[in-house]
Amino acid sequence: MGSDIVEISINAAKALAIFLMMVQIVPMLVWVERRGSAFIQNRFGPNRIGPLGLMQLIADAVKFLFKEEFLPDKKRRLLFLAAPIIALIPGAVAFGAIPLSVPIHVEIFEFLGQSWGPYRFAFQSVELGIGIVFVLGISSLAAYSILLAGWSSSNKYSLFGALRASAQMISYELALGLSLVGILLIYNSFDFAEIIAQQQGSLAFQFLGKDIVWSFLPNWGIFYQPLGFVLFFVAVFAEANRLPFDLPEAESELVAGYHTEYGGFKMNMFYIGEYGHMLVSSALLVTFYFGGYNIPFVTPDQVLAGVESFLGLSSTGSSVATAFLLHGVFLVKVLIFLWVFIWVRWTLPRFRYDQLMDLGWKTMLPWALANTILTAIIVFIFRTQWV
Amino acid sequence: MEAAIVFYGLSFFMTVLSLGVLFNPNPIMSALYLVLTMIGVSLVFFMLDAGFLAGVQLIVYAGAVLVLFVMVIMLFDLKREVYTFSRGFFTRLLKVFTGVVFLIILVKSFFLVPETKELLNSSTQMTTKNLAGLLFTEYIFVFELLGLLLLAVAIGAVALSRIKGGTHAE
Amino acid sequence: MASVIAIVFLITLIALFGIFLVWGTAKLGPKIKQSSLKKSSYECGIEVQQSGHTKVPVKFYLTAILFILFDIEIIFMYPWAISFGDAITNGYGAQVLAAMGVFILVFIIGLLWEMKSKALEWE
Repeated sequence: MGSDIVEISINAAKALAIFLMMVQIVPMLVWVERRGSAFIQNRFGPNRIGPLGLMQLIADAVKFLFKEEFLPDKKRRLLFLAAPIIALIPGAVAFGAIPLSVPIHVEIFEFLGQSWGPYRFAFQSVELGIGIVFVLGISSLAAYSILLAGWSSSNKYSLFGALRASAQMISYELALGLSLVGILLIYNSFDFAEIIAQQQGSLAFQFLGKDIVWSFLPNWGIFYQPLGFVLFFVAVFAEANRLPFDLPEAESELVAGYHTEYGGFKMNMFYIGEYGHMLVSSALLVTFYFGGYNIPFVTPDQVLAGVESFLGLSSTGSSVATAFLLHGVFLVKVLIFLWVFIWVRWTLPRFRYDQLMDLGWKTMLPWALANTILTAIIVFIFRTQWV
Repeated sequence: MEAAIVFYGLSFFMTVLSLGVLFNPNPIMSALYLVLTMIGVSLVFFMLDAGFLAGVQLIVYAGAVLVLFVMVIMLFDLKREVYTFSRGFFTRLLKVFTGVVFLIILVKSFFLVPETKELLNSSTQMTTKNLAGLLFTEYIFVFELLGLLLLAVAIGAVALSRIKGGTHAE
Repeated sequence: MASVIAIVFLITLIALFGIFLVWGTAKLGPKIKQSSLKKSSYECGIEVQQSGHTKVPVKFYLTAILFILFDIEIIFMYPWAISFGDAITNGYGAQVLAAMGVFILVFIIGLLWEMKSKALEWE
């Protein structure tokens, strides 16, 4: 994690901060969800505790902590307790692997009579060259917590909820994985940072071997992959078990699905897992299709130069300022998508199970395949030097 | 030094976990130990900078094959089927046969150590792009054959799910 | 190498956080002597009617197997996708495209066959 004590401790603190950021966003999203649903349905929502009902978050958390605990019979108790902890891991680790801003470069500095540096801190807790494959792999482990929770509860609602959830997740994982092949064909990299770097500035592409620039559009992935974006967007909803795909917890049929037997903070941990999944999905959507942390039409280098001349900071200071500025841009984009997740939940009704499976296998998968073939042919025609 | 500590730590945990797979009487716990072992293998691939293989290990083995195992063990009551599959002359023969095959592979792998060392010391960087290059030039025939094999397996699985009789009949 | 340490560190951190919370709620919650009714699993207020033997449609098993097969096919498209750009610039793009075309053709045949044989139907 680093070569000396400063680097190791900063990297460790960074991992902790990014994880806490994910945990922290959950109560806020719950509040937005409740107030937002009230707003959409012309109600008030929670508005009593604190300004705008904001203290409701803290009241909920405290209440979750002081709830009575239920446990099933002894044989399954270990897995019952492990399931909510496992539910946290895929979302949090995947979020740690996504770059949230440009890396910070720290120049050599003196501290406690010793000189340290130079350092380069990536704005993510796990920096990998094959980030996309890693995130897909880690996310595919999410099925375990659901299966364990459903099985160890020894309740038929839980069991059937888990069964439905895992079948749904694996069905949409295919469409999810396949819709990304188009992005990979265009950017030719598994590295998030490289994909984002290729999306800076104005729209530029090769046509029959010639370079063409359209300066009225930002260089975002959605303009190359509109169909891929739609497929990925839908698949991500199903992966996060959100409405209109929340069959695993269809209240009218299954009570609360796989977490029927859970109460208190253990139930809340499943919520953290689900909202974490939403956060990762929004971050991925932004990274692949909306330029990541790039400001439209402006490259990060131009931002750095601007910050340097405008604020007049040192090289280290302007690097830090740029990173946090671009991180703010990234967060705004992610929050827009998180709001879309909530908006859709209160707009669309739930699917029927056979419709859900039909959509996954017979509509999304063929379209994703068509998108792949089409993208490959277009890339081949546009990039070849036909002379 | 750091790499050696991480490698031996991972190997130790993987050995313990695989012993857990073998000796735990509860099939669900066995399957879960196997999941953890697979994640450990993927971390070893990460250590060797074979990121794509590590990801595939996670997606295919930990995320797909073992999800199926865990799902089947948890949801289908397989006590009778397990009983029929663990007795009888033919199954025993199969067990001995696979055991011998794996022993041969294990012994053979010890003789491969010098070659592996040579490969590690050579400067050729194995990237995913190199892998793809090999796959689409030298091993193209095997690659297409694999597509057909997967098709055959899919047809077999569908046919198998249609069978009436056996323990299903009751 | 460094990434492995970072991954292990992150997982340990999350696990510790989770264990702490589960342990904390067990300690903080009220201790009420649990009756047998309270301990039984949730069943809308009636007696639990679940036997150990649950019949589950074989459909789910088939879905899982087909998922594994298609997942492997999709995994093979990933290295192809990232090396395709280089293949075009090096002049053997057509060959690589044709190779993957045959593979995708087999994929499509499999998918069509499964649709036709009603393996993907849910009633």
